Amino acid sequence: MKNTKAQIAIAFICILLGFMITVQVKSVRKNTAVNNQTMQRAEELQTELKNEKERGDSLYKQVLQYEKDLQEYQKNASDSSDQAKGLLKQLQNAQIQSGMTDVEGPGVTVTLTDSQDKSGDVDAALFVIHDTDILRVVNELFGAGAEAISVNDERMIATSEIRCVGNVVTINGNRYAPPYVIKAIGSSDTLEAGLNIRDGVVDELKHYKIGVTIKKSDKISIGRYNGAFNPKYAVPVQKGGD
Amino acid sequence: MIPFIGLLIGIAIGIFTPYHISSQYSSYVAIAILAALDSVFGGIAASLQKTFNMKIFISGFFGNALLAAGLTFIGKKLDVDIYLAAVIVFGTRLFQNFAVIRRFLLNKYVKRDNI
Repeated sequence: MKNTKAQIAIAFICILLGFMITVQVKSVRKNTAVNNQTMQRAEELQTELKNEKERGDSLYKQVLQYEKDLQEYQKNASDSSDQAKGLLKQLQNAQIQSGMTDVEGPGVTVTLTDSQDKSGDVDAALFVIHDTDILRVVNELFGAGAEAISVNDERMIATSEIRCVGNVVTINGNRYAPPYVIKAIGSSDTLEAGLNIRDGVVDELKHYKIGVTIKKSDKISIGRYNGAFNPKYAVPVQKGGD
Repeated sequence: MIPFIGLLIGIAIGIFTPYHISSQYSSYVAIAILAALDSVFGGIAASLQKTFNMKIFISGFFGNALLAAGLTFIGKKLDVDIYLAAVIVFGTRLFQNFAVIRRFLLNKYVKRDNI
């Protein structure tokens, strides 16, 4: 004969047991449902993102097409009058200088590669290409009369930055790692000579065993600046009078 | 029989409770369920053998549940499934006690048959 007090005690624990099991089963079912919801939402967002990217690409293609048409109209307009021809030439110069259009011409291609020197006891940071190295090459090329420069196909415009971030370099907001290919359009001989001045850029880079190769060419193509430009602070100064 | 009715009451209360356990705590409740099962079976086996002790039973349930929950907590912090120790022990005792109950019930009916 079982002790009734024992029975009641066991019954209490059984109440607790039944309660816990039921609540647990309910919660687990609800939690898996919530997880599925979250996963579904993530999938939805992924599809949305893909669609937006495709829209962005097709809009960009449209923009290129409109620019081509615009150029046609400009050319047609300039064919009709000398004043228009003058304006068109001004416009083209401004476009080249501001990096808004693809350009081609004679020039040099400079390639910078990290030092292959494996002598491990010296500070490794000295043998890696820094933003300053690229900046020095670009500066020297502009100084030697380059009219357009691109680094790893990023066109250098007035607001371009070349900056070290960790162990990669950001150019125009995009990250790049070595090798760095710097293209410049100008007089190939002058550009090459400027880089090769004794104790100049090339000598300094070679001192740290950074690989530098300079190649002259008659036809270098440099692409346009690929970003957007919406100035928030600078406004053109209105010149009064003539 | 009374424990079984208790179980049904517990399930009924659980169905009508609007509360939910968030997913962080569900592993603790699971191990507490196992501790409760172990205590119930241990209690039934003890009362059949007339060795039931109220203090051991009550303290056993709460103590085991707390210890098992503590093991789960530490295991989560250490990223080692220490709670498995509790699972194995509870499981082993569950089956041992169940064997005792089974033997007792079978003996009861077999003896009656012989009479």
